[in-house]
Amino acid sequence: MLSVRDVTVAFAGVRALDAVSLEARPGRILGLIGPNGSGKSTLLNVVAGAIAPDSGSVSIEAVPIPAGRPEEVAARGVARTFQIPRLARRLTVIQNMMVGRRDQPGENLLTLLFRPGASRRSERALVVDARAMLARLGLIHLADHAAGGLSGGQQKLLSMGMALMSDPPVLLLDEPAAGVNPVLVEQQIVFLKSLAAEGRTVLLIEHNMEMIADVCDDVVVLDAGTVIARGSPVDIRRNAQVMRSYLGETA
Amino acid sequence: MLDFLVFAVTMIAIWSVVALSLDLQFGLCGLVNFGQILPFALGAYGPAISAAHGGSISAGLALGLAMAAVGGVLVLAPVGRLSQDYWALVSLGASEIFRLLMVNVTPIAGGQDGTAVARVSNPLAALGLALGLLLAMLLLARRIDRSPLGRLMRVLREDDLLVATLGRNPFRVQALVTVVAWLMAALAGALYAHVVGFVAPSSFSVAETFIVWTALILGGAGSLLGAVVGTAFVQFISVSTRFLAAWSGLPFDLVANLRLGIFGVVLVLVFLLRREGLVPERKVRVDAVGP
Repeated sequence: MLSVRDVTVAFAGVRALDAVSLEARPGRILGLIGPNGSGKSTLLNVVAGAIAPDSGSVSIEAVPIPAGRPEEVAARGVARTFQIPRLARRLTVIQNMMVGRRDQPGENLLTLLFRPGASRRSERALVVDARAMLARLGLIHLADHAAGGLSGGQQKLLSMGMALMSDPPVLLLDEPAAGVNPVLVEQQIVFLKSLAAEGRTVLLIEHNMEMIADVCDDVVVLDAGTVIARGSPVDIRRNAQVMRSYLGETA
Repeated sequence: MLDFLVFAVTMIAIWSVVALSLDLQFGLCGLVNFGQILPFALGAYGPAISAAHGGSISAGLALGLAMAAVGGVLVLAPVGRLSQDYWALVSLGASEIFRLLMVNVTPIAGGQDGTAVARVSNPLAALGLALGLLLAMLLLARRIDRSPLGRLMRVLREDDLLVATLGRNPFRVQALVTVVAWLMAALAGALYAHVVGFVAPSSFSVAETFIVWTALILGGAGSLLGAVVGTAFVQFISVSTRFLAAWSGLPFDLVANLRLGIFGVVLVLVFLLRREGLVPERKVRVDAVGP
């Protein structure tokens, strides 16, 4: 279980997050919604270790994560994507996928020099896995294209695939459907459900209410850095306060 | 004429190793090192310091390599993680600090006047050593280039936060690349010292760093063959203009400055006409295996 306890983050005196707590469980998709600037991405960055909170803590299976150390948090099995996909644009799609796997023997110089066979074997297995994941994402026909040449939606799928290459128990997704064409969104919805069915904990930031209603088991609503509502997608839709904060004061 | 060719190829081989070292750092990993002459100088000063204090050749070599490995980490460390942009300035400053230290502290290795070291007197032996070193370093660089480590370095070149997000420590990769690359350049420096037979601070000015950069940009950053091709072109001009000066009777200073001018023009032309260099970076392919 992923649990966030009383996390507070202030940027130059402005409280981006104010004592936020939440819990996300394996096999379930937790949606994180709220207006722009409500602190969703900041919360994701705290969970991913990219931002160290001023107070509060994040823990996985009751063990606190090393705050502010994204590479160590990733090693604990937390993978993430970004709102604007981060990829090695000059490398090919399959290479991006392959670099998603941690602990590769061929990334160790001594192994490379003295046991090159170990690296070659791991590469052969890795290519197979990477191609399987690309097929699952519907990107296999683009395997040898430069990642930078992909459409925005394809780049989002690719970065999700990279995040999954280390088989992470926890997955943090920042607006995977924003700016993506409806066909790819449908594909993502199916994909997200299959990830939860595999027993992963998924934390999803999304503005697309249709997607939230379709895939999320639970929803947490942030506004101005505090949790203003939580519940099932149906509860949240009925909640008048949420709709006001989402659609503006006039709604 | 044959003597000249042997000398020219020896110099091309030695400087190719320095260019390869810069290629590993900048071409593959995105580390902008404007002090690339420093590891070369450290490698050359190992033998010089050893000779000045009565040490052996192997002690000098070991000293040069040790200084380069430690120097690389020392120069990289203060820049800290995830901020490689500043490294250009820090490395440039470090190379000048070392050169000025050697100029001003005479007891270390003779100061401005330099130190004589044991010279490989047979030009063909020097050529053989230089080509042997180049071949070994090419094989090492190629092994790294085509490996998962090389792939990770290319991701680091584009986005260090992505590398951290994927569970690797960017600073550790940078430190590893720096130590390996600086050891390569130091080996070249030590060989240079024993081929020339003399080590003085004037050989390690900032201009030398930018000549290596010119070679790498001309040849194609990110391409190992490019580093060698670019160096062959640049060093051939460099060495032959020295002979040209002696032969034509033009003032030596004028020819030296003209040479730098030519390199400047070469850089501008490459940026305008062929940004990827003479031998562009290989588009890395992964062979399709399995389903």
